[in-house]
Amino acid sequence: MAQFSATLANLINHFAKLPGIGQKSAERLAYHVLRVNKAEALALADAIRDVRENLHYCQQCYFLSEQDLCEICRDPQRDPALLCIVEQPRDVIALEQAGAYRGLYHVLLGRIAPLEGIGPENLTINALIQRVQKGEVREVIMATNPTVEGDGTALHIANALADFPVQVTRLARGITTGSILEYTNREILADALTGRQKF
Amino acid sequence: MAAEKSLAIVVRMVEFSETSLVVSLFTRDFGKIGALAKGARRPKSAFEGALDLLSVCRVVFLHKSTDALDLLTEAKLVRRFRAGARDLTRLYAGYYVAELLDELTHPGDPHPDLYDAAEQALAELDGAGSVTAVALRFEMTALRILGHMPSLSECVGCGKPVEAVGRVAFGMLEGGVLCPDCRPGKRQVVSISAEGVKTLQGFADATTEAWRGQTVHPKIWGELRGVLNHYLANLLGKKPKLHEFLGTLAE
Ligand SMILES: [Zn+2]
Ligand SMILES: [Zn+2]
Repeated sequence: MAQFSATLANLINHFAKLPGIGQKSAERLAYHVLRVNKAEALALADAIRDVRENLHYCQQCYFLSEQDLCEICRDPQRDPALLCIVEQPRDVIALEQAGAYRGLYHVLLGRIAPLEGIGPENLTINALIQRVQKGEVREVIMATNPTVEGDGTALHIANALADFPVQVTRLARGITTGSILEYTNREILADALTGRQKF
Repeated sequence: MAAEKSLAIVVRMVEFSETSLVVSLFTRDFGKIGALAKGARRPKSAFEGALDLLSVCRVVFLHKSTDALDLLTEAKLVRRFRAGARDLTRLYAGYYVAELLDELTHPGDPHPDLYDAAEQALAELDGAGSVTAVALRFEMTALRILGHMPSLSECVGCGKPVEAVGRVAFGMLEGGVLCPDCRPGKRQVVSISAEGVKTLQGFADATTEAWRGQTVHPKIWGELRGVLNHYLANLLGKKPKLHEFLGTLAE
């Protein structure tokens, strides 16, 4: 495409940096912005500015928030004795959509990934330990991803909390509801056996 | 662009997009490859959760002739590395195996013997093998297969046998032990205890599995880490990321 406009090229370049957006899609989005009415286009720009200027991490749990404490931490109906540990804010959103949990969260903002140079000090683990030190938490639920790094992160945290009077549990994993045992792959069966619960 | 099949160990994974991963695989038949796994982060992907660090998989990939990423089309799980859920030292030693495979080898340079050694080391780390013994054996095996084994019984300067008594000089730049005649004037020379040298010799000997009966005394492990960390950092031109964790592995 001929670069007849530097400002248009600039917008296309910014769209092309977004995850999953290639050059063609970036051009399509840029032309869309030109085509819609001005108010709608500027509303998009304002929304981006807004989210960056007004949204930050909750001072207590590191979920996204517009105030010092997020909506979940401010909710008096929530049980502060229950703390669910997740890797990312999007994991909180997924668990909230499931709707079965009434405790609080702690977002690590990543996972321990030594091969990527990410150690415990790069996450919010110290803040988590300080939270548990305050004594209100009775159960810590590990909800890191069921991957090698996620499991390693959960184990590191469980070890760090070993001296505190808290129960450490982790999400059950295993057989999908509605699936058939004989067709379940053996890794999942092994997980399901390890994570068996009292009947 | 041919479809290739091989056994492979996942040595690195980077999120590429909302749904895709870029993986570094150490394959048995083609050496290290970098491949794009499209859709791997979707819940029902063609890879069925096989792609995780340290997993052994049977993979199919489209080999690109240029330096573009290969395209991973299939990955069937052979064995998952599970020790990370119960023992951090086993996990970090496993990460170190992956780091050595990734850093010491080059794309398009297959070493089936190194692959077999790595798969076995991971299986033993995931089982009940001694963490330090398995890690040291794998380290020495990788150095031997890739032609970087330091000289441990003959002087790297003059070839004369060097006896493991008292303290033995080890030249980092020369790559091995030095006799008293060759030592003067050399830079980056450390001295190793006789027991340390004998331990290295035992773990380096490819003709025997006698290392299995050997335990690495914590003091010797500490000493050997000092030497090997320095040697590998020189070899790679940078400090391996897992080195700071290895010092804590002594049993
Ligand atoms: Zn909060
Ligand atoms: Zn000499």
